[in-house]
Amino acid sequence: MNHRNLPTVCEGALAILPLSLAVIPWGILTGALAIQAGLSNVQAQCLSLLVFAGAAQLSGIGMIAGGISVHSIFGSTMVISARHLLYSMVFRSHVESLKLPMRAGIAFVLTDEMFVVSEAHTKAKGAFSSTFALSSGITFYLIWNIATFAGIIAGSYFSDLESLGLDFAIVATFIAMSFDQIKSKPEVVTVLVAGVSSVVLKPLFSESYILIATIIGMVTGYSLLMFIDSKSKVST
Amino acid sequence: MIWFTILGMSIITFFNRFIFLAKGVKYKVGERQKRFLGFSGLAVLTAIWTPIVFQVSYAEHVQISAGTDYLLAACVAGALSLSNVSSLYVVVLSTSLFFVLRSFVLPI
Repeated sequence: MNHRNLPTVCEGALAILPLSLAVIPWGILTGALAIQAGLSNVQAQCLSLLVFAGAAQLSGIGMIAGGISVHSIFGSTMVISARHLLYSMVFRSHVESLKLPMRAGIAFVLTDEMFVVSEAHTKAKGAFSSTFALSSGITFYLIWNIATFAGIIAGSYFSDLESLGLDFAIVATFIAMSFDQIKSKPEVVTVLVAGVSSVVLKPLFSESYILIATIIGMVTGYSLLMFIDSKSKVST
Repeated sequence: MIWFTILGMSIITFFNRFIFLAKGVKYKVGERQKRFLGFSGLAVLTAIWTPIVFQVSYAEHVQISAGTDYLLAACVAGALSLSNVSSLYVVVLSTSLFFVLRSFVLPI
């Protein structure tokens, strides 16, 4: 990386900053809950350093605390992080000219938040920037890990963080991130269908409801988009 | 055992992120598939937060419940995002409202 990339590096870091700050309470919660689940300080930090996936970490911590078998933990990690397969597919066409270390680096810091800001940047500039993707991803990684560290410290002092209501921060974060993408009817329908499906399916499929509801929402939104497209072609 | 769990989870999450970025995987994504996948972020984020706000139970009767604190704060978050308030303010304002509701208003 040379200094001509510096403006893009800063741009990437700045673009993801609001979203990074928004997950700080969640990072703190993840660190604190890991301690309360019986992980050592080093193990709790390594969870954020190596796994680096909020939803998967929280479900994993819950299952470790509940004494659930390792293969069930791996199964639910697979399902919860399966949405990264979709992001990885979208990024595939962007990284064709890049070498392995860069691809692996981008993959390692590929999160919901990094995907959202990077795709927005790609749309705005008309081309994908690996520098932007990497710098926004690394910024998010650092802040997530600092927040986890703070949570590990806090977890050793306070005993009942969940009752303080920190769990609402994830709701607010995800609403802020997703409602930004609502531009037309297919997106509105996607939100309604994915939301209702997820609520209705959760008691029935406790480990895979997120993935099932996601796919139902995507299929409905996409079908409506295709329907609107075909109608506008007929009328013109 | 915890170390083994952490290591396994790391491998799984990295695999999901990296697999389609690997050179050996030749699968190409078409224009229609990209438009389909364009709905993924929106759908998955919605699927994660909605069950935190609304809970359904199928025991005896079908029951839907939502905590007033969650519901009000989520509505405020939604309204603010739709009026193009920046993400950070949405999170700070609605989470503060949630703290206030939970700690002072609702227990009274």
